[in-house]
This record gives sequence, structure tokens and C-alpha cells, in this order.
Amino acid sequence: MSYDDVEIEDMEWNQELQAFTYPCPCGDLFQITKEDLRLGEEIARCPSCSLYLTVIYNMEDFQEKSNKKAEPPKPQPVAVA
Amino acid sequence: MEEEETRVEEAEERKEIWSWGAGTDGQLATGSLQDELTPRFIRSLSAYGPIVSLSCGGAHVIALTPGGRVLTWGRGTSGQLGHGETVSTSQANIVKQLEGFVITHISAGWNHSGFVSGVFMCSYLQLVYGQDEDEETGAIFTCGDGSFGQLGHADSSSQLYPRQVSYFASKPVEQVACGMRHTLVLLAGVLKRSCDYRDLSGILCGAGNVEKPVYGFGSGKRGQLGISTDKVKLTSLPQITMGLENIKITCIHANGDHSSALSADGSLYTWGRGFCGALDTYIPCLSDVDFPISKVALGWNHALLLSRQGYVFMLGGDRHGVLSDPPKTPSTADVRVTRAGKSEEIITRIIPGLANVKVVQIAAGAEHSAFITGKEMLKFFHNGSIMTWGWGEHGQLGLGDTNDQTAPQVVGLDRKSACGDAIPRVYCGSGFSFVLMTKI
Repeated sequence: MSYDDVEIEDMEWNQELQAFTYPCPCGDLFQITKEDLRLGEEIARCPSCSLYLTVIYNMEDFQEKSNKKAEPPKPQPVAVA
Repeated sequence: MEEEETRVEEAEERKEIWSWGAGTDGQLATGSLQDELTPRFIRSLSAYGPIVSLSCGGAHVIALTPGGRVLTWGRGTSGQLGHGETVSTSQANIVKQLEGFVITHISAGWNHSGFVSGVFMCSYLQLVYGQDEDEETGAIFTCGDGSFGQLGHADSSSQLYPRQVSYFASKPVEQVACGMRHTLVLLAGVLKRSCDYRDLSGILCGAGNVEKPVYGFGSGKRGQLGISTDKVKLTSLPQITMGLENIKITCIHANGDHSSALSADGSLYTWGRGFCGALDTYIPCLSDVDFPISKVALGWNHALLLSRQGYVFMLGGDRHGVLSDPPKTPSTADVRVTRAGKSEEIITRIIPGLANVKVVQIAAGAEHSAFITGKEMLKFFHNGSIMTWGWGEHGQLGLGDTNDQTAPQVVGLDRKSACGDAIPRVYCGSGFSFVLMTKI
């Protein structure tokens, strides 16, 4: 069973891992690559344990050549309502 | 020097600090990066004297010494260890940047850390001797990942050294609680001139005319900041948590996307992500439990409540916190549905093996739970047993395997060599656990 459902915008882009990540309760990170997303994969796995996440996203966002659009917006410096 | 050596020897003899569970980032302080399925005695910390308290985060740990010095170890990739670098270490190191401050409160979040310097003594001095408020008291420092504004420095940058949160420069802070992507702060009582200066105990307890607002900053998407009835994506500037005005808050907690506060009369307020699939709550909501609560521990999908009578209750836990349906397990009783705001929550009483055993302390990891039983035990149990249940894949239950447990199990510690009559204290990080055996 999927540990949780997480929207792609709540995942963080990790430059080092070249993947979108989300905290895993074991202490490691759930991970999914842009290529995975482009292929329609919706499961983000944790390399350290058996848990996995279901990623909620719009596949079309990852179909274009440029991936810029798909990255979550950078957090703003001050309060945003 | 000789004294220090004696202290080290004594500490090693007493075997005061133990750890187990996920160890890949060095968070167990064992010197290796292995998971440990059973409690391991930590030799490396003994040189710093008895550890007063611990706070365990996603994969790092903060420890407090009696003199208010701070030690950190574990994952440091975002600067959460406060040593000015982005490396992980299984070796406990003093946070040099905080030397000179007497730190009284610590909190480790997923990838960030909060430290509060002492406030009480100085307030007392100020009141009795009319000294000016010392800037170093009641100050809050944060370091680590700041991507969501959870460090409170009005930006989203990360900090490799503890940096004072300037917003609170003129507002003395008492407590800090770090969650996954957010931070809560409880102010020390704003002392009114009308209170009796001679009543020191009243000042220390925060009794009398004292206002203690709660602030939140960082990610607010699940309502965990409690700062608005509308959805707030994030704020990097602290804002007052709503709905707690005129309530004397004694304790704040944060873990995952959950937040809670306990009032002096034992009432529980929760906000943030809903438990058991309940709706998220955007402002603090009084929990509908009919007993006074003495302690609270938050996981990622469950909360443990310790009643003043010494009973443990669990809120939520529809995932690994309990694994199966709570009503079906023999270890639980009194399952009932309570209301928190608009939605319903399931609360379950956890029976620690024997029905009349009392619990004195609780701790929650992301998906596992632990408690310490009190003295009123039958001889079958040791005085002050450590019991764990929940998710066990990394050995975080300390039971020698990687199985999950739906009911509390006794953790076997080599008690003969442990600190005589000391009651153990348990602390849980996301996927690991620590026990302190020091005398309080």
C-alpha cells in the first residue's frame, strides 16, 4: 500500500539526486526522476526501505522538451497567502 | 582533569545512553552507519557528562548538557548540525557557535534545528535587581534547511551555523518545536508589572498575569502554522498562531505536518494535517477528550497522549503507527470517536501489557511509538520498562528484528549495568530511538 499521496508541487527538486524528493519516515527520501514522470510513472520509491509514495501530477507537464515548467516554484522570501 | 576522567569512567559504568534503529546518516552515534536492531550503548558521549535531554529529528540528534552546552550528530547535509558545514557525522560534537549561551530548550525537525537560550534566571535578576534585559536570554537560534522559511529569517536560505531569529530579539522565547517543514515558537511569559516580584515560583511557573503567545513559520500548506483560516503556502516571517489567545500554553509540539499545544489545565489543541484521514485544521482546535493530558508526542500520522492518570491514548495511526485496525488488536480498548473541528478522529487507549500499569513518559517517531512505564509494576516487568510498537523495518523498535508490532513490547536493555534506580527516558527520531538512563 502506498504510504501517502503527494502532489508534485510539494516535492523538492534535488539537484544532486536529479530527482524530485519527499521525506520518508525512515529518514531517507522518496525519489522520482523527470524521466519516470515523463513515462507516466506515479510511484516514488525510497532507496532505504519498502515504503513508496503515490505522486499526483499532470503527465502533460512533463511531456514537453523543456522541463522548466514542471519544477515547483521556488519558495518566496516573505509571507505568501 | 582527574575529575573529568572519573566522570567518564562513572558514566561508562552506568551506561547512560542507548540508541537503535535507522543509522545510515550516523544518527545513532555508534560510530558506524549501520541500522541497529537492538539497543546499543553509546560510549562516545560520556565525556560530556550526563546528558540532560535529547531531541531527535529526521536523521540528526541534538543533546543538551547540564551546563546548557549543545551537542549534535547525524545528518548534516543542510547544515542542521550547526557546525558550519554540510557533512553528516556519527560523532557527537559541541556546537561551538552556541558556546557562551546557556541553552535550555532544543528541537530537531526533519532537516532543521532550533535552540533557545535560558530566560528564567535573567528575568528574575531583572526583576529583583532591576538589571536590563540581557539580549542573550530567551533568544532563539535556528539552522539547517530553510527552503520553506522554517528558520524564520525572512528568507528561504539555509543556515550552516545557528543564527539568532531577529524577529524574536525583543520577545523572550521559552520553547521551540521543529516539524518537517515548519517551526513553532512559544514565548516566555510577558511579565506584567502587576505581578508580585517576590513570588519567584509564580514567575518560574508562568503563573499570574502572563501571556504566552505561540508563533509559527515555514510551510503552512496543511494548516500546521495555525496563522490563518485560509490556506497559507508558507511564511518565512513568524506570525501569531490564532485561537490560543488567553489560554495558558505550557508546551508546544511539531512533527511531520502536525502541530499541537498543551494548556496548563491539560487541554490539547491540535492543528495542521488531520489524523485518520480527517480534514486538515487551519487554526488550533480543542481536542474533545474528557481527561486532562500531561504529555503529548506527535508522529507523522499519529499522536500519543499521556493522561495525568498515567494512561496512554493514541490519536490517528491508521498507517504504520498501528498497522492494523486498532479495534481488532487486543492491546487496545476504549476506542472512540472524538471531534476535532469539523471532522472526526479516532482515539484509542493503548494497554501496556498489564491493564493497571502506569506510563510516565511517551515518545513518537514518524511511524513508531515508545513509552516508559512507572514504578507501579508487577514483578514481571522491571521498574521503568521501555516499551515500543509500530513500524519496525529499520529496527527502530529495538526488539532485535525488523518486524512491525501492533501492541507495545518490552525492549530488553542490559539493566544490570545500567544506571541503578534511574528511570529511563525515551526519545524517537523519524526511524530511530534513544534512551537516556541518567538520574533526573
